[in-house]
Amino acid sequence: MKQQGAKGWLLHDVKNRGVTAYIIAALLFAFYFALYVGQYHENPSGPYEHFQAFLYPATAWLDGLGATIFSPLGPDQWGKPFGSRWHVYGLLYTVAILGGGAYMIAKYKHNKYLIVRTSVVMFVQISFAFSIPILLKFFHQPEYYFSYLWPLKIDYLDPRNFAYYGPVYVLYGFFASIVLVPVMTIFFGKRWYCSWVCGCGGLANTFGEPWRHLSDKSNLSWQIEKVTIHTVLIVAFVSTALWFASATMPDNAALSETAGTFREYYGIIVVAMLSGVFGVGLYPIAGTRFWCRFACPMAALLGLIQKFGRYRIKVKRDMCISCGMCSKYCEMGIDVRSYAQSNVSFTRASCVGCGLCAEVCPRGVLRLENVWRKDPQEMLTMESLISESWKGENTTIGARR
Amino acid sequence: MKIVIVGNGVAGITCAMSARQRDPDASITVISGETEYFFSRTALMYSYMDMMTRRDLEPHDRSAYAKQRIELVRDWVIDMDPDARTVTLEKGGARSWDRLVFAVGAAPNMFPWKGVDRIKEGKVHLVSMQDLDDCERLTPSTREAVVIGGGLIGIELVECLLFHGVKTSFLVREPWYWPMAIGEEEATFVGAHMREHGVDLRLSEEMVEAHVDGSGRVKSVTTSAGNELPCQLLGIAAGVHPAIERLKQFSSAPELGRGIIVDERLETSIPGVFACGDCAEIHPTGGDPYGELIWYSAKRQGKLVGAHNLFGDDVPYVPPLFFNSSKFFEIEYTTVGEIMKAPAGTPTIYLKAPNKPLSVRIVHDGEQVQGFNMLGSRWNHEILERWIRERRSPEFVVAHLREAQYDAEFNRANLSALVRQDLPLTKPERPS
Repeated sequence: MKQQGAKGWLLHDVKNRGVTAYIIAALLFAFYFALYVGQYHENPSGPYEHFQAFLYPATAWLDGLGATIFSPLGPDQWGKPFGSRWHVYGLLYTVAILGGGAYMIAKYKHNKYLIVRTSVVMFVQISFAFSIPILLKFFHQPEYYFSYLWPLKIDYLDPRNFAYYGPVYVLYGFFASIVLVPVMTIFFGKRWYCSWVCGCGGLANTFGEPWRHLSDKSNLSWQIEKVTIHTVLIVAFVSTALWFASATMPDNAALSETAGTFREYYGIIVVAMLSGVFGVGLYPIAGTRFWCRFACPMAALLGLIQKFGRYRIKVKRDMCISCGMCSKYCEMGIDVRSYAQSNVSFTRASCVGCGLCAEVCPRGVLRLENVWRKDPQEMLTMESLISESWKGENTTIGARR
Repeated sequence: MKIVIVGNGVAGITCAMSARQRDPDASITVISGETEYFFSRTALMYSYMDMMTRRDLEPHDRSAYAKQRIELVRDWVIDMDPDARTVTLEKGGARSWDRLVFAVGAAPNMFPWKGVDRIKEGKVHLVSMQDLDDCERLTPSTREAVVIGGGLIGIELVECLLFHGVKTSFLVREPWYWPMAIGEEEATFVGAHMREHGVDLRLSEEMVEAHVDGSGRVKSVTTSAGNELPCQLLGIAAGVHPAIERLKQFSSAPELGRGIIVDERLETSIPGVFACGDCAEIHPTGGDPYGELIWYSAKRQGKLVGAHNLFGDDVPYVPPLFFNSSKFFEIEYTTVGEIMKAPAGTPTIYLKAPNKPLSVRIVHDGEQVQGFNMLGSRWNHEILERWIRERRSPEFVVAHLREAQYDAEFNRANLSALVRQDLPLTKPERPS
């Protein structure tokens, strides 16, 4: 039941898909669409061709604003204005994370896990995701985001860009994606990246806090998510492989054309639409982690590694009262309650380890842990699958277990 | 086999789900007049506070019942015939059974308070879905409320009312909050915490009379301290009892006491008829009768009946070592062993953080630990239980406490800052 008065109405309306939530969603959609699709292309092709003629002139003021804000830094190394629409976006993004982060810390001031995690998210955004790239550019270095890694930032392992970035950054990109990511994920689960470092997760966990409970918890969503997220992962792998192939065979025109097509459509569908326009635009309607849950190739990869790592959510035996707060406030749409009420400690590939299920549990049943586990069944989550089967066709849980 | 289960709470639904696993062919019917689907009663407060929708309170996807072939009937059972093996439904018709299970739960206690019978509007509980309906209907026209009963449901109702901006007085008959569960020292800081949240907490003060206005809406409450507290809503949370009022009206019912009397296999005086959960009064062979009015036991009893005793396994019910956990506003609470049942003067080790609502209470008999009451941080009750089973000494437990901590990462309570006192357990004098 919503609180009385205008404030109660507004809070309820914003958080529970009311009129205001739809208005906010529409504004976010419009902003992201204009930002991504309206950007200037020297040789617009594909989908951009149809939009550039009217959308770029309509949104060019964003680039102008960026040029004005960042004009004290002087022209860039090519003599062009230093700032663009992407710097305005970066600034807004940072403000959103800092504001939302302050709100998070105030709201969960009694939980140091959430305070530390949110502080790190805010720090990474200010430094690696905003000021360091600008500083690099100022010193005529490539504008490199150390906190974004392949396959999330797929361009970083695209050989076409290697000459621009230079060997140090390219080596870092390889090292981070091939060594750092798997090792850290084995030890700490995907949370070290998805809810401590990544900007997408950072925005969701700060600015997106009022909408985290809107993720769909149905079994159907879980089935869809498994198909879509792994499809994007495969596309990311195939695209990267194509780009390497075309780089090693520069004379193969057909290959080069295919690689180009993948580059273009990956950019518009995955990067612009899924991560940007829908990823953030759907916050007030479908919850904050739409992109992370259904489409992020990085989340897919980390999730697969997480299943074999140490991370899990421990469930305290027989203490669950099935209230469902854990499921309700899971931004990834995991039905945590179905495990908790069945006394099953578990690791789900999609879990980003935000820690909110444990925080909201009124009986202190849940705890995030990194432990080496002996029970291979648990690691393969056979138990988890069985426990969710009250939603499925067969059931074997209960007395005989 | 035809199984009919009366009541769709946690005991009834767990019983139905367990019976389905045991016997893929049984016909299983669950009858409830309260709601169509099983919901988590303990989460009513979160719906009241706009943190969840009512649908969110349902622990299982609605499709689960069809997939499990569990028939749900929305009706009240008003009579039974043990010879014909049928139950009669309020809307008409009867259902036949080979095995019948009563899992009818508990209902709020009412005492003969003066004037309460005159209240037509404004008296609420927080136990059933209908109670939530009442609360939500009345809240907009409520500026002040009085809640009586110093237990868990009472504090939950108080928290909900405060959320809605209602000025709330909390009348606790005893000299401190919830003496059945927590000690005097802990209750002192829990009480201070409540007051910080704006609760008008009144200890050792009872309602003596309720007053109504011309329309029958409650308008004030007179207390034993001589205060008249204006209120438009009176919350009554003075405990619960087995909900056997309907069974008392049956032409023939299983033997009833405080609850539905069952043997240790949870079977009633009528063969083939069982009772489990809050409504069951268990008479074990050679032991004292008892009832367990708590979620975890309802689940355990439902499972035992559904998985075994409906099918003639004759497995005796063994109550677990008592444990519970909760939250008083922001103060976490974990308990193991029914320590407040120990007599006054029982030795305890009480560890308390200065200036913080954080405490550890270890009850012992001089040689072995008997129970724990932990406030302000999270604990793994499995380890606390193990120490009791292993008959550990109090000093061993004090030295190993850290192993049982269950706080979130980076959030582990600092035990070294706790100040130790060896205190005998105190008990409030029984109010006359």
